[in-house]
Amino acid sequence: MKTRIHNAVLALGLVLAVLMPGTAPSPTMQPPVLAQAQARAPAAAANEATPPVEEDSVRLAIIGDSGTGTRSQFEVGAQMARARQRFPFEFVIMLGDNIYGSERPQDFAQKFEKPYEPLLTAKVPFYASLGNHDDPTQRYYKPFNMDGERFYAFTKGNARFFALDSNYMDQAQLKWLETELSRSNDRWKVAYFHHPLYSSGGRHGSETDLRALVEPLFIKYGVDVVFAGHEHFYERIKPQKGIYYFIAGGSAKLRRGDLRRGPLTAAGLDTDYTFMLAELGKDVMRFQALTRAGRLVDTGALPLQPEPKRQDDAQSRAR
Amino acid sequence: MHILLQRVAVACVSLVFVFWTLDAQERTNAFAASMQAFKERVQGYMDLRGMIAQSLPRVQETGDPAKISTREKNLGIAIAKARSAAKVGDVFGDMTPHLQRILAEDWKSRTPADRKALFDEVPPGLTLTVNQSYPATIPLVSAPARLLAQLPVLPEMLEYRLVNRRLLLRDRDANVIVDVVVGVLPTGSR
Repeated sequence: MKTRIHNAVLALGLVLAVLMPGTAPSPTMQPPVLAQAQARAPAAAANEATPPVEEDSVRLAIIGDSGTGTRSQFEVGAQMARARQRFPFEFVIMLGDNIYGSERPQDFAQKFEKPYEPLLTAKVPFYASLGNHDDPTQRYYKPFNMDGERFYAFTKGNARFFALDSNYMDQAQLKWLETELSRSNDRWKVAYFHHPLYSSGGRHGSETDLRALVEPLFIKYGVDVVFAGHEHFYERIKPQKGIYYFIAGGSAKLRRGDLRRGPLTAAGLDTDYTFMLAELGKDVMRFQALTRAGRLVDTGALPLQPEPKRQDDAQSRAR
Repeated sequence: MHILLQRVAVACVSLVFVFWTLDAQERTNAFAASMQAFKERVQGYMDLRGMIAQSLPRVQETGDPAKISTREKNLGIAIAKARSAAKVGDVFGDMTPHLQRILAEDWKSRTPADRKALFDEVPPGLTLTVNQSYPATIPLVSAPARLLAQLPVLPEMLEYRLVNRRLLLRDRDANVIVDVVVGVLPTGSR
């Protein structure tokens, strides 16, 4: 009898874990990559955001493909507000597809202002980039802080952020990017935009066209981290040519089963809605990917890579 | 006799080379002339647009999305009204065959997966023409970066967009189609 009850409880648990991802974590039910990523996470932080580690670090949240106005977006928004109590991020970057479908005033309310109301009320600024579902006139929408530009840059602490328009990488934007990158002496250089240069997505995959043009600039001028969306899942890519790449396009849309784990994949999740938190410290970037239920999907600490300029400086000092 | 044959052969080769060079030169000149004329027509559009935009409230950052969409709509309507007689090819003109060639070569260089991904989110039946606005509910096809690098540079307010087998010249802030090149990609590419 005892065994039967035990088996029934176990079976119920398994059914719940399958039907309600994020609510009943079970190591045996997790996809291999997720299990691997969690194995690296501190045990105490298995179910919610962990506090920042360094005092003067730059703290941010990252969302992508978020503008649906659906329950999933509201759930992610609510979880972000909860996470902020433990991890007080200063701002949010948006990886495009900020407003899906029609862009009437009520859409901006339903697909942006309401889901993130607690954050907007707390005066947390959002910095958007444009996705293929976004009307470029979104750059005039003040809460997106785009300064009326398709592509722009801003500084937070020791980091410079470059928001690009990957829908339309024309010569003007490339020239601007090279000038901006060459001028930046910031410790961290972070680029973000909609289309991923590297991706294991079955539907879209890596944007090799875009990669051929921007990656050489990223390498030449020492970009450290790149965030992209477009794919409706979370993926951490194995470092490519010294650059850390993340895909965080599952903040309101989900393409289940689209993540084809392969040689690029360091960790990933395509079975629940996700957002990211990041802390840029003196020499290390710490990151967390969380589900709408606050479950930790992936976490880690990535060292600042030596960039060309720093290498030159080190060499000249050695001389 | 042998020397004479040699001289004739050299002369023939030289003639072929001269004709080939002249032909290439002519093609280059024709392209340059088409490009220059295209730039002038684009400038003509920008001048007209500038005048129309002046009569509307200035665009600036705002927290009120209604102001942004109203301006976009009014600008689009005013431009379409001012260009009510505009037809396909008015701006692209004799750049059209050059653009068709560039696009066809670019298309050939892409893998089937690339091609599929490009139009992944665009409904197959969508065709747009001059003075129409791009439907708000349909995503814009990202202009492939390698292709953009080969197309003539446009002012910031204008952009190229591919929709199925058409290349659009689109006014970014007015959301109006300024011109179209039809049949730029092979049949079956949507």
